[in-house]
Amino acid sequence: MTKKKSRKIIAVVLAILAAAAIVLGAMNLPQRTGDKGNAIIDALRIRTLLNATGDGVVESYVAIAKKEATAKVKAEGGGMSAIREAVKKAEEETRAQYSNSTTDYSKLDTTALAAAVTDYAALLESYDAIALKAENAYIEENMAAAQAAAKAEREKKIAAGEEVGEETEVSVDMSGFVATAEMTAAKEKADAQYAAVGEALKGIYPVLDDSALATLKDTIEKIVYTRGDDFTVKYDRYMAAGSGEALDDKMSGFMVRYADDLIYAGVGLIVAALVFLFSELLIAKLGIPRVIIGVFFILLCFMCLLYDLSLPTLLSNTLVRMGMNSIMVLAMVPGIQCGISLNLGLPIGLVCGLIGGLMTIELNIPGALGFMFAIIVGGALAAGAGWLYAQLLNRLKGEEMGVTTYVGFSIVSLMCIAWLVLPFRSLKLRWPLGTGLRNTIGLDSSNFAHILDDFWAFKIGSFEVPTGLLLFMLACCGLVWLFSRSKTGVAMQAVGNNPRFAEATGIDVDKMRIIGTVLSTVLGAVGILVYSQSYGFMQLYTAPRQMGFIAASAILIGGASTSRCKISHVLVGTFLFQGVLTLGMPVANVLVPGSTISETLRILISNGIILYALTKSGGGSRG
Amino acid sequence: MAAEYILEMKNITKKYGENTVLSDVSLKIRPGEIHALLGENGAGKSTLMNVLFGMPVIHATGGFGGEVLLDGQKTMIASPHDAMTRGIGMVHQEFMLLPGFSITENIKLNREITRPNVVSRVLGKSLETLDMHAMSHDARSALDSVGMSIDEYTRVHGLPVGYMQFVEIAREIDKTGVKLLVFDEPTAVLTESEATQLISVMKDIASKGIAIIFITHRLDEVMAAANAITILRDGKLAAVRQIEETSLVDLAELMIGRKGEGVVSVASRPAPHGKVAMRVKDLVVDMPGEEVKGVSFDVFEGEILGIGGLAGQGKIGIPNGVMSLYPNEGTIELFGETLKLGNAGDALRSGIAMVSEDRKGVGLLLDQSIEDNIVFNAMQIKGEYLMKFGPFTNKNDAAIRAVALRMIKELDIRCFGPTQHAGTLSGGNQQKVCIARALAMNPKFLFVSEPTRGIDIGAKRLVLETLVKLNRERGMTIVMVSSELQELRSISDRIAIVSEGKLVDILDPNASDADFGLAMSGIKPGEHKQKGEN
Repeated sequence: MTKKKSRKIIAVVLAILAAAAIVLGAMNLPQRTGDKGNAIIDALRIRTLLNATGDGVVESYVAIAKKEATAKVKAEGGGMSAIREAVKKAEEETRAQYSNSTTDYSKLDTTALAAAVTDYAALLESYDAIALKAENAYIEENMAAAQAAAKAEREKKIAAGEEVGEETEVSVDMSGFVATAEMTAAKEKADAQYAAVGEALKGIYPVLDDSALATLKDTIEKIVYTRGDDFTVKYDRYMAAGSGEALDDKMSGFMVRYADDLIYAGVGLIVAALVFLFSELLIAKLGIPRVIIGVFFILLCFMCLLYDLSLPTLLSNTLVRMGMNSIMVLAMVPGIQCGISLNLGLPIGLVCGLIGGLMTIELNIPGALGFMFAIIVGGALAAGAGWLYAQLLNRLKGEEMGVTTYVGFSIVSLMCIAWLVLPFRSLKLRWPLGTGLRNTIGLDSSNFAHILDDFWAFKIGSFEVPTGLLLFMLACCGLVWLFSRSKTGVAMQAVGNNPRFAEATGIDVDKMRIIGTVLSTVLGAVGILVYSQSYGFMQLYTAPRQMGFIAASAILIGGASTSRCKISHVLVGTFLFQGVLTLGMPVANVLVPGSTISETLRILISNGIILYALTKSGGGSRG
Repeated sequence: MAAEYILEMKNITKKYGENTVLSDVSLKIRPGEIHALLGENGAGKSTLMNVLFGMPVIHATGGFGGEVLLDGQKTMIASPHDAMTRGIGMVHQEFMLLPGFSITENIKLNREITRPNVVSRVLGKSLETLDMHAMSHDARSALDSVGMSIDEYTRVHGLPVGYMQFVEIAREIDKTGVKLLVFDEPTAVLTESEATQLISVMKDIASKGIAIIFITHRLDEVMAAANAITILRDGKLAAVRQIEETSLVDLAELMIGRKGEGVVSVASRPAPHGKVAMRVKDLVVDMPGEEVKGVSFDVFEGEILGIGGLAGQGKIGIPNGVMSLYPNEGTIELFGETLKLGNAGDALRSGIAMVSEDRKGVGLLLDQSIEDNIVFNAMQIKGEYLMKFGPFTNKNDAAIRAVALRMIKELDIRCFGPTQHAGTLSGGNQQKVCIARALAMNPKFLFVSEPTRGIDIGAKRLVLETLVKLNRERGMTIVMVSSELQELRSISDRIAIVSEGKLVDILDPNASDADFGLAMSGIKPGEHKQKGEN
């Protein structure tokens, strides 16, 4: 009772905090483009400008002092060393004098300068808009040629047997770009305004001469306007330059700058309050593992927002990765249902799928037809291999976990030899010297790269939806679901659930286990093809080794146990697993910046989840 | 002066939670006496022995009431090891022997005779050399005392079961200072001649002053071996008898006893005696722990046949054998047609349904919903509750839900709804789901095996009433196997008693307790009476 009460109180406190944060954020967010925001930016801009020119001014004084010192020593008839000494001394003195004397900005009259700068910023912006348009037009004009060149280059590389990566985005060489007349005119206008700014600056620092202004031009231009400016970018730039003191009300500046983060934090607090309030219900409904990982995932989402990482892009990536991994996770379902537990021998299916894919490239079957061919060939091979594998499993009942793991590792090692001796001839597949297949085989538009991802794909902002991939995933899930409701499917689940029960009903336990294992292996073959088409590579040799574990972990996280699973476990598990992986790495990179930690982290996160999932292999409570 | 009794257990009371398994039981054993401990399964024999040996299960569940006196001294036996050092030995029902070791090594295990050597002088006693000669000498004399001429160096692996039993006994005898030996069903695995030999060995041992507690259900052996008998019934002391003052019939009657009123009362009727529904001939079933060694009987159409007997005697093997759940032999005719053996599916297809005694192991899909459990057999065997699309099939949710709801109502299954998982139900309700699954098959013939095991009294009554209702209203022929004789007597038309894998006799439910007691210990009541008359 009191526990419930205190929980309610905490939730209410969190909600109040959240409401406060959201209201503050919502009030301040529109100010960015309003008067307050402009005032903040203007104040910061002028201060940054003055600081920057102030440095120029010091340099001017130093130059003058040096000149005077030289003249003086010369007049006294001193030698070179004396001159050098005198110059050095004069420089030091001057620097000390001006650098230490902090300018009292409040006494400066910046009205003229502010007006000039505002106009200058507007002119620069309009110039940039014109320039951008012109550049885009140029790129569009030359794109086709550039793409053709890139393709030719790629094919040349393949023919020469070099390693080729995924097709990268082609960039147009801008060296041939010539400024248009419109640009020149706009530029001239802006330059003219710079003269006005220069005059205003001279009014403040009389010592500035034209040559000093000319050297300062680039600096000032960058301060005033940079391509892609908006409130936050400018604010950060000026703050980084140490102009924060210019603000009379630092708090309000901060509020406006971080208004969006305030809203995010508010929403986050609401989510936290809800999770906290309904924690018992959530845990009962979803089980602790899903609540923990779900909360971790939401936390990562908010961290992405706070660190200004593009959440829509990352979520879109999550969706793609969920789609590409889901079929392999789905392959766990028939395995669990028929009682062989987690099919860690999934690599059997994977290598069959890979062979199907290799055949497609070897025979040069393009596009969707090639993908279908790969699935059929891979599926047929997997069915055969799965049958043999099932015979093994039926003879080693009760030891499935160990056997499947061992078989999974063994087949990968065996295939490492096979990849070297299989008689494929295509240059896209083979090493140019000696025998054997390449390590990674890049798929391109002439094969089935992104064939599902790009099917009916559309974009909402930067959130890209891989429609075809998702549809394929749902179709496969639907088929497995339908199968699990058929007479055979029901019998198979009974075998997995309680073999003695099934036997007592006259069900052929071994046969059902064979059906389940074959299905699982075939789904593995389809799964790796879906994965490859999305990834853009087919990876041979040791690459499939970990995939069984990843798939197993995903379904465990989704709530399955080693003896019980549903389709929803596949979808939830894959989403959470891939979501945490996709969002975790960029966030970790921001938290530990400038390191090459990402690969280590990838391994840590993915293996961490696997380990956690396996500790939960008992599954959640019966629901 | 030595006490009159070597062991006295006074007013022992033991509760497991709310459940009283022993109440106010006393046991007194004189030196050199063979004292038989009798009782049905669950009468409290094992618990009493657990108390005597100080088994951890006793201490872990809150100890026991009453006191234990050894040689007249009040004693607290803390552990089985403690019991051993105080001279109490146990000859186990399951042999605790190392197959790869020789008989000598087994007898002397952990009590080896050793000689110091160079290494042991430096590194301690555990590295001393085994004195095989002395050990084999001891083993020899122990073997001789149990009348075994076998070479003491023979490995235990591959010995006949009877020999292992004697090795086990020899090991206990070899322990110095042993005062009391407990024989737990020692003759269960022995042949008749071996059993006779064992009894003479026991008498031999007893004549040396070692007291023996002899746990068995074979009344004739008790009569042959014991000096005194303590009989337990339902956790209470039923009687203590000296051998002179009792008889086989007396013991049988004391062991069974009337246990109050029947759980359900059914109007009596003349037992159906018309058409034969099932004819079982020479049924042999290889079910571990419940072997059936050739039984033949007829079941009449419309009757309820009870099958009773003590645990491990094979009564459970009969339904499991008929359903071909275990390797079986023999012929079974169902309504005149011969049943194909070897596949449970064939038995089910021919119209027999079975409610298994092993609810959790065989009877239910614990991780699946009640409704899926109920329709499973009908779906798999008869193809019902399915929608068909050419070669493809899909569960017919509406039909499944309808039948599940009907069963839940009829059988009063207490649940949140038909989608609740079977594993989360209470034992009684799980049993009802099992019955519902059998009924969903619309069987002509129903086997129910231990339908009331582990369920509360209310559920028990409902299950039994349901069976009677099915029998009376639908004319379903039912064979019920149960360890609870009272239950069998209350609803059966006839009761078959099984002992040691063989059918002893088929009795009327109103036959006397003595008859049932005799039958359960493998003696056909009619024959015994004849013998008595002769």
